[in-house]
Amino acid sequence: MKTMQAIERKLQEKLLLARRVEGDSLVLADDVMLAAIAGSRAMTPEQAEALRQSPLTLRRFRQLSIDCRVAWQGSAGMLRAASNGPLDAIGTDDGYWKLHFVVEDHAWCVILVLEATAPFAARMLRDQPMLRVLDGGGAVILQGTLDADGECEGNWPFDLAPAPHFHACGATFTVEPVPRGP
Amino acid sequence: MRLPGTRYQEHGWEHVRKMLGRSSLLAFAHLDPAGLPDALPLYVDLVAENLQDIDAPGNSYGDSVQELALTLVYELLARPADWQAFCAAVAGEHAKLGPFWQQAGGEAILRKKFNDMYAVLRDKVDSDNYQAACGRPCSPNRMYAYRMLDTAYGEVARIFSGWQEHSGQVSAILGRDVSAIPIEVRQMKSIGHCKAEWIMRWSESLERFGGAPGPLHTRSKRFDNLKDNPAKIADMLAEIGDYEELSANRDQDWLLDADAAADWMDDLHRVLAEAGAGEDEPEAAVSPPPRLVLAEETLPVRLAVYLKMLGGADDSYPDEWRDPATGELPTMAQLAARDNISLPTLRKRRDAAIDRLSRRTM
Repeated sequence: MKTMQAIERKLQEKLLLARRVEGDSLVLADDVMLAAIAGSRAMTPEQAEALRQSPLTLRRFRQLSIDCRVAWQGSAGMLRAASNGPLDAIGTDDGYWKLHFVVEDHAWCVILVLEATAPFAARMLRDQPMLRVLDGGGAVILQGTLDADGECEGNWPFDLAPAPHFHACGATFTVEPVPRGP
Repeated sequence: MRLPGTRYQEHGWEHVRKMLGRSSLLAFAHLDPAGLPDALPLYVDLVAENLQDIDAPGNSYGDSVQELALTLVYELLARPADWQAFCAAVAGEHAKLGPFWQQAGGEAILRKKFNDMYAVLRDKVDSDNYQAACGRPCSPNRMYAYRMLDTAYGEVARIFSGWQEHSGQVSAILGRDVSAIPIEVRQMKSIGHCKAEWIMRWSESLERFGGAPGPLHTRSKRFDNLKDNPAKIADMLAEIGDYEELSANRDQDWLLDADAAADWMDDLHRVLAEAGAGEDEPEAAVSPPPRLVLAEETLPVRLAVYLKMLGGADDSYPDEWRDPATGELPTMAQLAARDNISLPTLRKRRDAAIDRLSRRTM
């Protein structure tokens, strides 16, 4: 059944992209389509109708949608100069993500938080892709999907506390989408 | 020349054009010349069958000559006006010469008409590809102008590299006398370093140095908007140069995996739904599931639809659809035999089914 859906989708895509209209042109500005794709500003019914009627504009829409999907491929961060006391939070260099560390019942918890200002925030909350946080050695610190508040929480999986653990593996970490399985 | 999205602007085009010309002549022999205007679907099928399986690259994006030829002939199917223009050209010649395709030298005339059709088509296709890729407006004529400038740059570069033999022409291009090697010759490392004035002076002086009138100095109106507009020429040269640099530095386009490639349609469904475009079921309104539209067709007709639209070898085909001998979909002849119908009948049913699908799409 899965194959059936995949092949039908390919046919539908082909049908959509094969349409041509003589003298067609781009009838919507990129920012109109980008805002609609990001979910920040819906199209008017007139704009949606224009998109339907212009196969060329639809092909531009497809390109913008794909660009948005591949735009965020991960963020990296680094534990800066050693601070006194236990580590409570570190952020990625691009400012899109923060990792918070809290102690609950004598055990460390780690919380991944998406900044609301990230350009892909609306899409991330809507699509809820599987995310993971890796340490500098490639070990998984946390894996899961964001909740409605843009957070994902898990138990700290290592014996060492966060600060010494990061120091032991290069002081870096990355947040990335989990690649789709086969 | 490479520009965002374009596929038919590199040297491989010559091979694509020749392959289409050869296949078109073979196809034409099976068409009824009196019924040409209605023969587009059959012509496209015949050309597709005749294309040679040559893996030679047709551009630097890795598209083969055969793939490019096939894509272009399918574009023709979606742009019947270009086919009608070809039919009118054939009819015009026929009015003068009679059935010229049967006469000595007639094949060359016919081939030229096919070439003309595809020359127009490739620039239409690539100007659309360009617009879809980068969101800036373009036209077939502008695509043609980019190519003219790219060719002109190539000529200027060739003349510069032989500046000693061509010192007169180099002087004309640079607008001053040259005796020693001009610094410009050393500095022009790519089209991005070529000055608009050089192109204009090259064109202006071309006839004097033994060529035909330069492209900016013919009586044709084709490049009227460039003739006295060095700023516009400079912009276009710079754009070709910038993209050349960009595409040379990039290892490869970031490729989506096959399943994710169609995810943009999810965005489309949502965007249309959010616009409240008066549809309860935006997904069905965009494109209803093919299995519903094709519910009354036999399996061989449905497979013929997939064969035409997606080719015989797609990874997503269920095993029971495939011919065990080849691992691909059965051929049209095999599918016709399964339904006990002739090949032309299967083609008609398939094309009617595709037409029904297309009309229910968006």
